[in-house]
Amino acid sequence: MDTARYAALFQAEAREHLAELDTALLALEDEGRRGPDGVSTAAQVATLFRGMHTIKGMAGSMGYEAIERLAHALESRCEPLRSGDEALHADLLALLFEGTDVLRGAIDDVARGVATAPAAIAGILVRLRRPVLETPSAETLALPDTTATSSESARVRPSAPADAVNVRHVDIRLTADCPLKGVRAMLVLAKLAPLGQIRGTHPAQTRWQDEAFDGAFRVTVVSDVTDDMLEQAARSAGDVAKVQVRVPALASQVAERLATTGVPEATRTVRIDARRLDTLLDLVGELVITRDRLLRRIEALDHPDRDVYQAARDAARLVSALQDEVLQSRLLPVGQVFDRFPRLVRDVSRELGKDVAFVMEGREIELDRSLLDAIGDPILHLLRNALDHGIEDVATREAAGKPPRGELVLRAARDRATIVIQVQDDGRGIDRHGVLLRAREHGLVPDDCDGLDDETLLRIIAHPGFSTARRVTSLSGRGVGVDVVNTRVRALGGQLELESIEGVGTVVTLRLPMTLAITRALVVEVAGSTFALPAAHVEEALEYHESLRVHHAARPSVTIHDAVVPLVALGERFGLVRSSTYDASRDAEGRDQHIAVVESGGRRVALLVDALVAQQDIVVKPLDVVRGAAPWFSGATVLGDGSPALIIDVPSIV
Amino acid sequence: MSKTVLICDDAIFMRTMVGDILTQAGFEVVGEAETGVQAVEKYKHLRPDLVTMDIVMPDMGGIDAVREITKHDPQARILMCSAMGQQALVVEAIQAGAKDFVVKPFQPSRVLEAVTRVLAA
Repeated sequence: MDTARYAALFQAEAREHLAELDTALLALEDEGRRGPDGVSTAAQVATLFRGMHTIKGMAGSMGYEAIERLAHALESRCEPLRSGDEALHADLLALLFEGTDVLRGAIDDVARGVATAPAAIAGILVRLRRPVLETPSAETLALPDTTATSSESARVRPSAPADAVNVRHVDIRLTADCPLKGVRAMLVLAKLAPLGQIRGTHPAQTRWQDEAFDGAFRVTVVSDVTDDMLEQAARSAGDVAKVQVRVPALASQVAERLATTGVPEATRTVRIDARRLDTLLDLVGELVITRDRLLRRIEALDHPDRDVYQAARDAARLVSALQDEVLQSRLLPVGQVFDRFPRLVRDVSRELGKDVAFVMEGREIELDRSLLDAIGDPILHLLRNALDHGIEDVATREAAGKPPRGELVLRAARDRATIVIQVQDDGRGIDRHGVLLRAREHGLVPDDCDGLDDETLLRIIAHPGFSTARRVTSLSGRGVGVDVVNTRVRALGGQLELESIEGVGTVVTLRLPMTLAITRALVVEVAGSTFALPAAHVEEALEYHESLRVHHAARPSVTIHDAVVPLVALGERFGLVRSSTYDASRDAEGRDQHIAVVESGGRRVALLVDALVAQQDIVVKPLDVVRGAAPWFSGATVLGDGSPALIIDVPSIV
Repeated sequence: MSKTVLICDDAIFMRTMVGDILTQAGFEVVGEAETGVQAVEKYKHLRPDLVTMDIVMPDMGGIDAVREITKHDPQARILMCSAMGQQALVVEAIQAGAKDFVVKPFQPSRVLEAVTRVLAA
């Protein structure tokens, strides 16, 4: 057994389930506040149960004993909830929250390669195993009355929705020596199908052909025939060791109805190691570069062979298609990152004694997985900032005439080729006057500056070490937050935007490319070196001519389509040449100079360069340098001719 | 009257073995086929109560033969004979209309159980 591979799978899947557990527990807690909603409560309980059960099974296979025991204790503790023998109450919820945390800790331990100390889980195990109290505590969250198995006739069936009354679970176990268990299970299903309507199976039919399928499965069927008839039909398929027919608890009935309405048959997916996707992308990137090099070589030939040229064009087209497919295969929904935040927001707002409603929108929006991995921390910073500095405590809010409960929104949306992620709070907004005073102290604005627009405000609070926090908490306020977020977002080829109104709230926007790795760029030459300008920022490129110069402007400027645009000589900015002679339209070797007009955050700048080399796709490689050492560059790339080039970070220049 | 069987397999060894198992249990082997095409022809001609069908055969495989036969006679009772590791093919055969399957190497008891199930359905 390839233990390392399974261990990685275990970690990935266990974490997904932990996130689901958190989501379900939070939903249950929320219902406790708003009053229970039968449908949703039952579904959440089903999710809890399933998550714990799955983790238990996986841990057992891996020999992770502590995790297995914990998950088992949690699962057992949830069983009375599911069966309806116990109503959910606040104490139990707290216990489940705590148990989930300990479980997470144990899973972390495995990831770090350390053994979980038995003492670390002993306490929670004892409490999880404590018998259910006869009388639940006063704070009862009533779960809807749930039901009994058909064999226990003493119990009454619930007043379930009409079409749910005849729902039956048929639990089947095939004989241990049954060959091709998956196919046999299909035959069982085929025998049951004529007797009613099949509502679903567990595991899903698509999993029956898996090697892991052990011949135990459940068919949920809506049928008017007797349990005996269902059992006989199942047995007639052959190789059936055991059949148990029962009426499901209302909880799982409802969950099943939710699961079967509107949700299509599971899409066919496979799990693959993320590193393979990365390697694949690297290879495609190299292929794209080679394609460009090949095409350029062929085009440069004096008498290109038509067939060779055509074949190269075809290959180039296929490479583009392959590149698209690879990029698509790397897209993942942002929900994968978002899902850990509700729990965090809850914990942080409790710690701060604030009442906050957390709303997430656009969880289904997709993003390249390398970006997804990288945006978690920046979003975390922004959420913490909003909770710590933005949203006020209840007393302050009420005094300001605001609803006592603050609102924090985390939103993802698509905006043409970019993905927008926003963190929005309805808190106190940024204290512009306070920022202005401190900015003057730090010399970040001229002394006569008496007002800050949003853009300047962002520039100031993103300045390393700048903070207006009155106090430093464990969460934020150390003056690193926005600085770190800004740096990280820039490194991803993205942009940060800020909008804040005092007393009303703050919106921070992260604008990111949907895919990170390959981007279109304008390749330019400056003082003998080559640089890449991301095409997303380039408005136009033209030959530089002295007549474009604006001579009376305070700083070097040119006129582009009747608009005055600041002129930046890149050679001088990068320290490659001592000073540029803007008035000469030729470089040192007498060649014509060019300008590239770039735009970022609504500001335009004309960049003076020696030559425009080409427009081409480049593969972005992150720049591994100390932060601040290469302020003008966001990454590096290898060009078609094999030479390296730095990628210019346009926002830092305009 | 004993039930009639058509045995389809490209290996004489397998045809003989299945034939022996079924004959000893009182079935009457009315025909044998070595290819899918033969299987379809002989089915139409012989109208047996049961067909045992190998999956991999030359000149039209077992799965296509199942499709052809069930197109001709939706009530056809076909038992697939599969080797280990042909799970996906067996699934396909069942979807094509085969009623049950047995896995090689054959155990007489398993073959007879499957045959009984197919005929009872």
